Amino acid sequence: MDTATATSDSLVVGRSARMRAVFEFLRVIGSSDSTVLITGESGTGKEVTATLIHESSRRKHHPFVAVSCALFSETLIESELFGHERGAFTGAIKDRPGRFELAEGGTIFLDDIDDVPLSMQVKLLRVLQNRTIERLGGTRTIAVNVRVIAGSKRDLKQMVAEGKFREDLYYRLNVLPVALPPLRERREDIPVLMDHFLQRYFRRRGEDQPQISDAVKQAFMRYNWPGNVRELENACERIAQTCTCGTVRVGCMSATILFRAGSQAPGPPLPAAAEPQQAAAVSLDDRLRELESNLIAWALRVSNGNKSRAAELLKIKRSTLGDRIARCALGGAPQTAEREPAAEAAGAARL
Amino acid sequence: MITRERVEAVLDRVRPFLQADGGDIEVVDVTGNSADVRLTGICAGCPSAQMTLHLGVEMALREELPEFETLRLI
Repeated sequence: MDTATATSDSLVVGRSARMRAVFEFLRVIGSSDSTVLITGESGTGKEVTATLIHESSRRKHHPFVAVSCALFSETLIESELFGHERGAFTGAIKDRPGRFELAEGGTIFLDDIDDVPLSMQVKLLRVLQNRTIERLGGTRTIAVNVRVIAGSKRDLKQMVAEGKFREDLYYRLNVLPVALPPLRERREDIPVLMDHFLQRYFRRRGEDQPQISDAVKQAFMRYNWPGNVRELENACERIAQTCTCGTVRVGCMSATILFRAGSQAPGPPLPAAAEPQQAAAVSLDDRLRELESNLIAWALRVSNGNKSRAAELLKIKRSTLGDRIARCALGGAPQTAEREPAAEAAGAARL
Repeated sequence: MITRERVEAVLDRVRPFLQADGGDIEVVDVTGNSADVRLTGICAGCPSAQMTLHLGVEMALREELPEFETLRLI
């Protein structure tokens, strides 16, 4: 759990503009010694990114120590991070260095920093300011030469506003911020990630990666991936373990992905929650028309332009569908619908 | 009591994917709150597909039809 090295297998993968921007930034900060704050939903690759930063820094020949702050109780976390002296508490039978000391000369990755209790935050702040620690039960001040990378799944600024995170610690951590986008916001990376993980897991089985059916690719593209890259990686592992027929088909996929993808009509995301805060006007009629037109285009596409079938999918009458197609000016919808998969295929080929 | 139409409507969510892969799922019978379905086509003989679709169809049916009881894959 504590130390990790980046192998070519565990590197963050992605070609989207957003990931390219992240990689560019990582390259820029590689030689720096300043504190990094990596923010991203669970499964977006915070620890892998931290490892990458360490491996590309001058500290790469020294330890990389990763600690999840969510794992320890309020009392244990202090002992874990700063160590303790013999007799500091019941059961402390010998001196024990903490994670900061173990990371001497290298990097410490404090994951789940958003789970650190307020009482501990002040102690962390002191360490970051003074670069010294005191073991629990000890009086000696120990200087530590450690680069700190913090990971958070929540927006710390928001937590500061809610009084759940110390503002001073936030500023101390947020020197070099790295924001990892959720997978659903960089869907163009899904095929690349799929290839990467499928290759890895089939190789582990000693097999070549088989062909992947278009239906599987489409389901992967359409699914929302709440567990982000980690979930996609697990989905690929499952496929590699269950596919027996030489071609990856929908039957090899997890039922959840298949059915969630099936109930998700593709289309632009609805207005983000942030928009109302910006107080920009949103035309409800326009948005609804856009949604309606996307759903109709989706239904026509999956039913290969068969309007009766599309009407069934949308749970409306065939005649109603005709009216709505006219209203949404989707007269050329079947053609439009045919163009879209072609565009998708072209995108996949480019990757 | 659930109807065949409601079961079909749930299955329609995944049919496009299955059909694109040369397979399909057929409702054989709906009795009371239970349904019998059969995989056809290319996925019919695949144990992974049986598992995926059994679990998936059952999950989806239970979500949409709270009264749904048993799914038999025959």
